[in-house]
This record gives sequence, structure tokens and C-alpha cells, in this order.
Amino acid sequence: MASAASHQWVGNRVLMTLLVAAVASVGLLPFASLSPNRLASGQSVMLWQALASWQLAALALIGIALLIAALAKPMGPRASQWLALAATLPLLALDFYGLGDYAHRALVDASPAARVSQGATFWILLLVSALIAIDALQRLRLGLTRRALYGALALAVIGVCFSGELLAPLSIMREFANQEENFVDQLIRHLLLVGGALLPALLVGLPLGLLANRRARLRNGLFSVLNVFQTLPSIAVFGLLIAPLSALGRAVPWLGDLGVSGIGVAPAIIALVLYSLLPIVRNTYSGLAGVSSGALEAARGMGMTPRQILWQVEIPLALPVILSGLRIVTVQAIGLVVVAALIGAGGFGAFIFQGLGQYAIDLVLLGAIPTIVLAVIADFVLQILVGLSRPPGTRQENTA
Amino acid sequence: MIELQGLTKSYAGTNVVDDVSLTLETGEFGVLIGPSGCGKSTTLKMINRLVPLSGGRIILNGDDVTDLPAEQLRRRIGYAIQSTGLFPHWSVAQNIATVPQLLKWPKSRIDDRVDELMAMFHLDPVEFRHKYPHQLSGGQAQRVGVARALAADPEMLLMDEPFGAVDPLTREVLQAELKRVHQQTGKTIVFVTHDMDEALQLATRIALLNGGRLVQYDRPIEMMVKPADDFVREFIGQADLGLKLLSRRWVHQYQRAPSLEHHATLPGLDHCWQLDDAGRPVALEGARLDDDHGVTPVKAEWTAKPEMSLKEALSRMVWYRVMVLPVVDDAGKLIGEIGMQGIMGIQAEAEGRVS
Repeated sequence: MASAASHQWVGNRVLMTLLVAAVASVGLLPFASLSPNRLASGQSVMLWQALASWQLAALALIGIALLIAALAKPMGPRASQWLALAATLPLLALDFYGLGDYAHRALVDASPAARVSQGATFWILLLVSALIAIDALQRLRLGLTRRALYGALALAVIGVCFSGELLAPLSIMREFANQEENFVDQLIRHLLLVGGALLPALLVGLPLGLLANRRARLRNGLFSVLNVFQTLPSIAVFGLLIAPLSALGRAVPWLGDLGVSGIGVAPAIIALVLYSLLPIVRNTYSGLAGVSSGALEAARGMGMTPRQILWQVEIPLALPVILSGLRIVTVQAIGLVVVAALIGAGGFGAFIFQGLGQYAIDLVLLGAIPTIVLAVIADFVLQILVGLSRPPGTRQENTA
Repeated sequence: MIELQGLTKSYAGTNVVDDVSLTLETGEFGVLIGPSGCGKSTTLKMINRLVPLSGGRIILNGDDVTDLPAEQLRRRIGYAIQSTGLFPHWSVAQNIATVPQLLKWPKSRIDDRVDELMAMFHLDPVEFRHKYPHQLSGGQAQRVGVARALAADPEMLLMDEPFGAVDPLTREVLQAELKRVHQQTGKTIVFVTHDMDEALQLATRIALLNGGRLVQYDRPIEMMVKPADDFVREFIGQADLGLKLLSRRWVHQYQRAPSLEHHATLPGLDHCWQLDDAGRPVALEGARLDDDHGVTPVKAEWTAKPEMSLKEALSRMVWYRVMVLPVVDDAGKLIGEIGMQGIMGIQAEAEGRVS
């Protein structure tokens, strides 16, 4: 009965649930924490203690707008979804601005060692605005361009928050300031490791996928070998590679000069390539296998050469599936590189393990957050590429 | 002209095509027909070497097909298949332009040719040029498939059950269209089907295969009137052989001059047509099945055209319950009549009787 009743006055249950979660978090969980120094645990600060009164008023307005959007009555469903989508941007801005502004005020007459960190409510508001936006974008069934436009707007809002001195007093940003040069180095290193693994994985994986498509007898053996690689835990692979690689580096001096040794970049890249092969080979194979036999017969019957059939028919039709494989592998590699920091390969994982060692949570976050952001951006960009690679006639049907 | 000489294909020691020899003159419409597994499709695919020959020779306009590079040979031969095989990532225009592109025609010539072919198949270029295969109906996709096969003006056209997957109504329309295109272009066509009605409708020559062997190769009428053996007789089907025969005879062969006054003395000719000033039939006096002397207003639905098959003419007589149909030209003018005698194959015997 309750659900039937709620059905009548709640128009968007997802939005209503998110709204309730946000309100509960504001009431129960700290928005920030204030601690005397970087290692000591801090004292919780609730949202209403942290924000200035005009900020609280603005937050209440956003909350009311979202409530109206969640209810069935006041507005039609499409207008409600647009309202919810529009409300996420000020919510995002207020979340960041409120935190930065609070840090400025709180640290005015505190000791220089004192730190302000973001609390659970900050993260939850961030997550809630992202989920509201995803939900609204899906319900509105917007095209790729409008989705990208919204993504750019949200990134711009976040970018503006980070650009000035607004967030500088936050603990995590002070860690960043301490590590700034190092941070850029590790970012480049992280990207080089991902790129250095994906390039050889593609160079080997694409031809292997083609081979699996052409030679049915090779296929099963190939996939079982690649499956074995996929099931090995990454730490174990790093461990297993130490002995043979250091032996190799010693035995073949020029390889040693290139940096091949038991720890560092060489084992990291080898392990990443091994993990990347299966998705690339499998998706290349199934992309090619999905090309209709009628199209292939017609192509042959009309006098296309095998090379023309491959480049003009098979690859264009298989490309969306191949790129989906690349998307999986890229996101996976960005995550796995973190673990490679354990064997001295560097990357954002270095901050995470360093922070864990010092029990400096903000240093851990300095490694974790950029990793997540990198993965999300890579996922988003490759998703757009997958969409663009679909045959033009079928593109608009890709709403799911 | 295409000659198959002792054509043989064997898989693992079994001949799926066994010593098939036949000649199809330029401009003819040859149909390969037979039960499933009779080797008709394999025979077709050996012509453009999608299936390699095990034995025998194929001579296309004087060239042994095995002497030519396979791709070059295939670009000389149009190819249309049941699943259309349209490229889903290419627009209708790009699909039609496939072989001209391979032959590196200049762009303006390709564009002109695509427009010409779309017009030939009644596909409005403005509407269809930029559509993609999944936006087409089955019949439209099959038209594009055949247009693509004809694009580079090939020496001959191979069609592997092209209308096997469309609904019966669309199939009839497509058959009529193919027949018209065949007459317009004069292309030599080799067409595979398992449907005898389709073969009789389209073919100028029928090759009936069974178990890889050629059982009979003949004109459609001969095959019906003089079947080589019981298998042929059975395959054609005895029950409606008469109707099948009618489907291969045409009104213009058996029409006679129209009766414009009553001839009460001649049995079956006790009727006459009333014309308007333009010479169009307005009404028929007599010759009604249920009312021998009534006056029936002429309707377009039961008039006959010279190029109509006798089967269709008979069908109209039965449905509208008249013993005779007016034969009209494109302007609707009465140019003759076709009656039961005509249907029975009695040719214009009342010729001297014209009023």
C-alpha cells in the first residue's frame, strides 16, 4: 500500500532516494574535519557548522528545487529532469566552495600545522550530484554532443574551484603543494606506463585476434593460454617476474642498460601487457566474427581482394567491439599501474603506498583520487570513440 | 554467352555437381532449379569462382574463367544473394557504387550510374541515396542488392535465390521488376531458385538438376509439355500443370478482334462491346455466366492487357464471372478480346469475322 501511495506523489524514485541519502548524510556525517597537524586525527565539523548562512540558504534552495523535481505533481517529467540536471551544477560548486571557504575561515587563527580535511558528507554530496546527473541524462535520452557538453560544464565548474586559492588551505592540496613537482612526474609516469603497456598489447593483440578469426584450430588454445594470464593475481605476476628478469638483465647487458631488471618498469609493463591481451584478442575476434556472412560473401562475389575486404568491410564493422575491448583494457591498466608502484615502477600508486606507510590519509587520497579521475576520463573518452565508430546508419539506435 | 562444359565439383570423393554441360546465349534468362542439395547453388558459385572447380570448364564470352584472376573475373559478373549482403556501414548510394569504385570509375560517372540504377528500380534518389540498409524494407534492400550487382554494367548477372527471403507479395513485385529490367538491359542472367513458379515466370531456359546431375535443360514450355522423365514431371507438379502452362502464354498471342455486334448463331460469341467516343469499352452485352443477356459495365479490374499472362486473364474471368475480357491498350482503347477459346489455346480463329 505504501509503495502504491508513494507512486502517486513521487515522480522520480531514484532522485528521491538520493535526496533522502544526502539529507541523512548532512544530518549525521561530518562535512569536514579540523586537526592540529597532518597525522593527528581531527575533530568533526558538521555541514551547518562549516557553511556560512548564505551558503546554507543556497543549499536549501537547491534541495527544494531537487525535491520539486522528484515529486510527480508540480512539473511534467521532462521539465523535472531538466531541473534536476541543472541543479547538480550549483550543488557541485557549493560543495567545493563551501569546503574551501570553511578552510580559509577555520585556519585564520589556527597554528600553521593545523589541517582541514574533507569529510564524508563532502564526498556524499559529490557522489549524489554525479548520480543525479547520470540519472537525469539517461532519462532525458540526450545525444552524445549534449552529454559531452554537460560533462564539459561540470568539469569547468570543478576546474574553476581548483584554479584559484579557494582550495589551497585544504590538507590534500597542501600535500599536493608539497609534492607538486613529484605529482606531475608521477602523473607522466603513470600515463607512460599505461601507454607503454597498451601499445605493445595492441600490436600483439590485434593480429592475434585476426588470427583467431581466421584459424579456427588455433582459437581454443590461444584463448586458454590468455585466460590463464588473466586469472593470475597481479602481485604474484610481479613476484614471478623478478627472478627471470633480473637474470635476463644481467645476462644480456644491453637489455640491462635499457632498464630491464627484476623490479621497476620492465616487469610492470610485461605484466600489464599480459593482462591486456585477453580482452583485446577476444574483442577483436568477436568483432570480426560478428560481421555478417552475407556481407562477406557479397564482398568476395563482387571482386574485392582479401585486403580490401579486411579494411573496407571487416575492420569498420568490427571497430566498435574492438574499441570496447580497448576501453576495458585502458581502465583496467590505469588501476593496475597503482599496484606496480610496489615494485618501484612509480605512478600514483607511489603516493598511495607512501601515504599508507605514514598513515597520512590525505597523501593516500592524493594518489587515489587522480587515479580514479584518470580512469573515469579514459572511460568517457573511449565510450565516445566507441559511439563514433558505430556504422553511421545504426548510431542513433545506441541509446542503451 | 556462357558455356559450362562437363562441370564437376567434388567434396571428399562425392560429386555434388556431376558433369554438367549447358550453353546459355547472351541475353537469355537461365534458371538453375532443383531440390535442396542438387548442386544448383554450387554450380552458380563456380561461375564466379567463389567455389573452385574440380573438373570441367566454364567459358564466359570466349574466356576460360580459370584463366582470369578471380577478382578481375568477379568484377565482370554481377552477383546478388538472398541475404542481400548489403554493407551495413555504407549508404544505399555507396553500396550501389561498390564495383564502380573497385574499377576506379571517375566520381561523376559513378554518381550518374547510381542515379540511373535507382531510377531503374523505382528508388527515389533524393529519398534513398543517403539511407542505410537497416532503414530499408526487405523489398527495397533486395532492389538495392540487384542494382548493386548491375552497377558496373557486368557481362552477366548471377543471382542466388535473391527473392527467397521476402514475403510472397513483394516477391511477385520484384519478379515483375526483374523481368522488366532483364528486357530493358538484355543482360544474360543465371538465377538459382527452388520455386518452380518463379522459374516459369522468369526463365527463358530452365536447367533442372537432381543429385548434382543435369536432368533436363529446355525452354519452360517444352519442359512442361515434354518432360524428360518422371522426376521432371513430378518436380513441375501435375496438379496445376494447366495453370502453369497458362502462366507462360500471353494474351497478345491468343486475343482476337472484338465483337461489336451480336452473332447469335455462333456459340460463345453471343455478346458485343459498347464503346464510348474514344473507343474505350463501356459495357459488355451478354457473355455473363449467370445472365446470358444482361449488360455488364466494364471495370478496369477485369480488362486485359496484351502482355498479361493467360493465367491472370483466366483468373479475372473466374472472379468477375464473365466469359470474355476486353483487351485494351495503354490509353484504354479496345484493341481486342480474349475469351475461353483463347484461354484454351485456340488462336484468333474468328479473325475473318471482324465487323
